[in-house]
Amino acid sequence: MSSQVRKNNRSRSSNHVRKLAFSAMFAALALIFSYVEVLIPVPVPIPGVKLGIANLVILIAIYRLGFRYAFTINCVRIVASGLLFSGVFGMIYSFAGGILSIIIMYLLYRTKLFSMVGVSMAGGVAHNLGQLATACLIVSNIKLMSYFAVLLFSGLISGILIGILAYHIEKRLPKDIN
Amino acid sequence: MIKKADIVLFILIVVFGGLISWWSLAGSIAGEKVLITADGRDYGVYSLAEDQTIDVTIDGHTNHITIKDGTVSMTYSTCKNQVCVNTGAISQTKDAIVCLPNKVVVEIVGSGKGGAADVISG
Repeated sequence: MSSQVRKNNRSRSSNHVRKLAFSAMFAALALIFSYVEVLIPVPVPIPGVKLGIANLVILIAIYRLGFRYAFTINCVRIVASGLLFSGVFGMIYSFAGGILSIIIMYLLYRTKLFSMVGVSMAGGVAHNLGQLATACLIVSNIKLMSYFAVLLFSGLISGILIGILAYHIEKRLPKDIN
Repeated sequence: MIKKADIVLFILIVVFGGLISWWSLAGSIAGEKVLITADGRDYGVYSLAEDQTIDVTIDGHTNHITIKDGTVSMTYSTCKNQVCVNTGAISQTKDAIVCLPNKVVVEIVGSGKGGAADVISG
């Protein structure tokens, strides 16, 4: 065993611990954003129309920490905010939307073709689509899809807004958060 | 900050959304019957012309559906979010009031045969 190998191992595990610490902070921040989200009144009385500020954190986590960390952060956020604010029933919807949106966002991010705004935009739309599809399953009624147009445009707009915000924040974040 | 692919994706989503809204709004006419679905099963069909109140009770959840002057509204629900009550009155086909927590859906259907829609919603 050369000391080089041991040193490599140590730096790899310390890198892992560092990422873990950042993930924990990101998850806490995402949870706070989920709470802020509940406080902000929505001008339209349609369920599912919201800003999705927590997505800001998830988006930056995808870019800085990688998919596995971002995915875990998202799951932790959904479970915690489900237990705290929206109840188990709401958690099912959050999971459907959150998982679909993070997968779509990661795939678009991987193509390197899209900016953060485009990735976030697609994520917003995917989130609403996932939630609506779950709602259709739960009430076993395809008719609900007529809400889709509304939710699609609301997801589009909030996704773009969050994307622009995330772009500016990510640019100013210290380089050693990665 | 914004790349070409973003704009292409944006246009695609907008066109897709436009098509969906066109599809869901087209052919919307004043309906004649009210179809109530509870927990995925048909609960009953009621005439829009007749003023009445229908109580739907499933698994301890209650919804009051009121038909008045050719419109339907959810006047009372035991659910927490009250989205269904806030939806207001509907009267056109393709309109629907949905109470997700209690799994109650109120739809307007046209004259007698809601045909295609009924087949799809099974």
